[in-house]
Amino acid sequence: MQSRKMILWVSVAVLCAYFAIALCAPLLSPYGPTEIVGNPFQSPGNGHPLGTNDLGQDIFSQLVYGARITLLFGFCAALLSVLISTSVGIVIGYYGGLPDEIVSRLIDVFMPVPMFPLLIVLTAFFSPGVLQISILMGILGSIYGIRIIRSQVLSLAQTSFVEGARAIGASDFHIMFRHILPNVMPVVMVKFVSSSQRLLLMGVGLSFIGLWDTTTVDWGTMIQNSYSSGGMSLGLWWWLLPPGIAVIGISLALAMIGYSFEEKFNPRVGVNRL
Amino acid sequence: MNLISIAGLCVRFPTRSECIRAVDTIDLEIARGDHVALIGESGCGKTVLGMAVMGLLPENARIRGTVRYRERDLLLAGEPDMQRIRGKEIAMIMQNSANSLNPVIPVGSQVAEPLMIHGILPAEAAYKEAIRLLAAMGFNLPERAAGRYPHEFSGGMRERILVAIALACQPDIVIADEPTSGLDAQVKSQILHLIKKQMADRTLLLITHDMGAAHFLCTRIAVMYAGEIVEEGPTHDILSLPMHPYTQGLLASLPSAGLHPIPGMSPSPAHLPDGCRFCSRCPSATARCSTEHPPVNVRGSRRVRCFHYD
Repeated sequence: MQSRKMILWVSVAVLCAYFAIALCAPLLSPYGPTEIVGNPFQSPGNGHPLGTNDLGQDIFSQLVYGARITLLFGFCAALLSVLISTSVGIVIGYYGGLPDEIVSRLIDVFMPVPMFPLLIVLTAFFSPGVLQISILMGILGSIYGIRIIRSQVLSLAQTSFVEGARAIGASDFHIMFRHILPNVMPVVMVKFVSSSQRLLLMGVGLSFIGLWDTTTVDWGTMIQNSYSSGGMSLGLWWWLLPPGIAVIGISLALAMIGYSFEEKFNPRVGVNRL
Repeated sequence: MNLISIAGLCVRFPTRSECIRAVDTIDLEIARGDHVALIGESGCGKTVLGMAVMGLLPENARIRGTVRYRERDLLLAGEPDMQRIRGKEIAMIMQNSANSLNPVIPVGSQVAEPLMIHGILPAEAAYKEAIRLLAAMGFNLPERAAGRYPHEFSGGMRERILVAIALACQPDIVIADEPTSGLDAQVKSQILHLIKKQMADRTLLLITHDMGAAHFLCTRIAVMYAGEIVEEGPTHDILSLPMHPYTQGLLASLPSAGLHPIPGMSPSPAHLPDGCRFCSRCPSATARCSTEHPPVNVRGSRRVRCFHYD
């Protein structure tokens, strides 16, 4: 019990640290992320805490500025996906009927399609920017969530407090907003944390493949650059490891927070996942 | 003057192969200030009757008869009219307090909700009124109780909250459906005392299988069996001198009378016998009882559906 609480708080602290770094990027980094400020392939030290890359850009500055882009698309996409899945799930679950049928069948069609390959195809077609990618990921990521929320709403719509509110003439909006939404909030929270982790990793993956604007610096492009310019074979660990560790750190923190939330809100889930 | 008069009320649920006759030709008059208990075993149709009065039966119910309330027939009233009446003029205290409250909303807001939906009070005043109601229901620190969630209360306290919700809009009539089911004896008596106090100048229809509760709260008792009212009259008369064999059996089966159960099972509402519905279990049944359906016989202030009182 105690150790699980510790893990949660450490994870939250790590997450806060990432956000603080992203917010204070200009204060923390000595140079701009795309500025050429030194000789190529400089090892750490000498005014470059993490050395420089093949173009002589400061890797520490890239790492710090990269946090902005990476967190931005991860959380934007997760927020959007949760917004879509909650609103659509509540509305179709509550009203049922034809719209519910149509959306459910559409979900059945999209569910078996693996999301990452689909994203690769779509980004290859539209070559979108960071914001458009987030929107795309948000929409695709909401599919599973709609199903979960909808099923919850179906059973909530049968409860006596919902029927009672309807019996005395409460508006549908009142029932959905005041009675149903607070009841699905735990699921929504868990979904938000877990999908922000999933979508953040997916975004890093996409930028690693190099399917979007490669001039924006984020952790995926950093890893991609180091990989394609032979950073690994040259043994330039300071180029590859920092963005890699940064990605692992945040996705671990988010996963742990997600598990703790899930255990808190749904005590029947196994306790041995940590 | 009768506040509610139910006449010839029938509720049927047709299924693919058979027809469930849940409630059959019920006549019941409830005067203003009257406290009437509807007593019967599980499945005799008493809850369906309560739901029919509230207009809350499911879509597939076939309803006949009239429920007259203040010069209008509730069975003919449209849903918007019923929504205005429910909670405001006729309120219900629900069975099963555990599921009737929204688990994620503080109880104060839930007590205030009917006041706001019916447009009686604005949000803030409604919340103040909710606190006042909780105080009247016997909560020591009503402000603190109002901010708490349903799971923080015991079953008895949740029942008090449900009573507060039912009384929030000062309804004329309260229909209480098993308000004390699942409570232990001491809490039950507290809730019954609370209901008695709050119902002093209101009209109550108590739906229960608990003779003790009916005796304590009600001035009149109607005994239901297999969808019909088999006996009706003033509480004291019925308890001291039951006329219908079913009522006699019911009283004999009480723990205080020695726990003598009535033999047999009540008939399935899909296959009701042609004669008296109690005939197969009745100790004094005659040949006529199994072929002819007994009419209602009026004896002074009492009515009984049995051939022995022709």
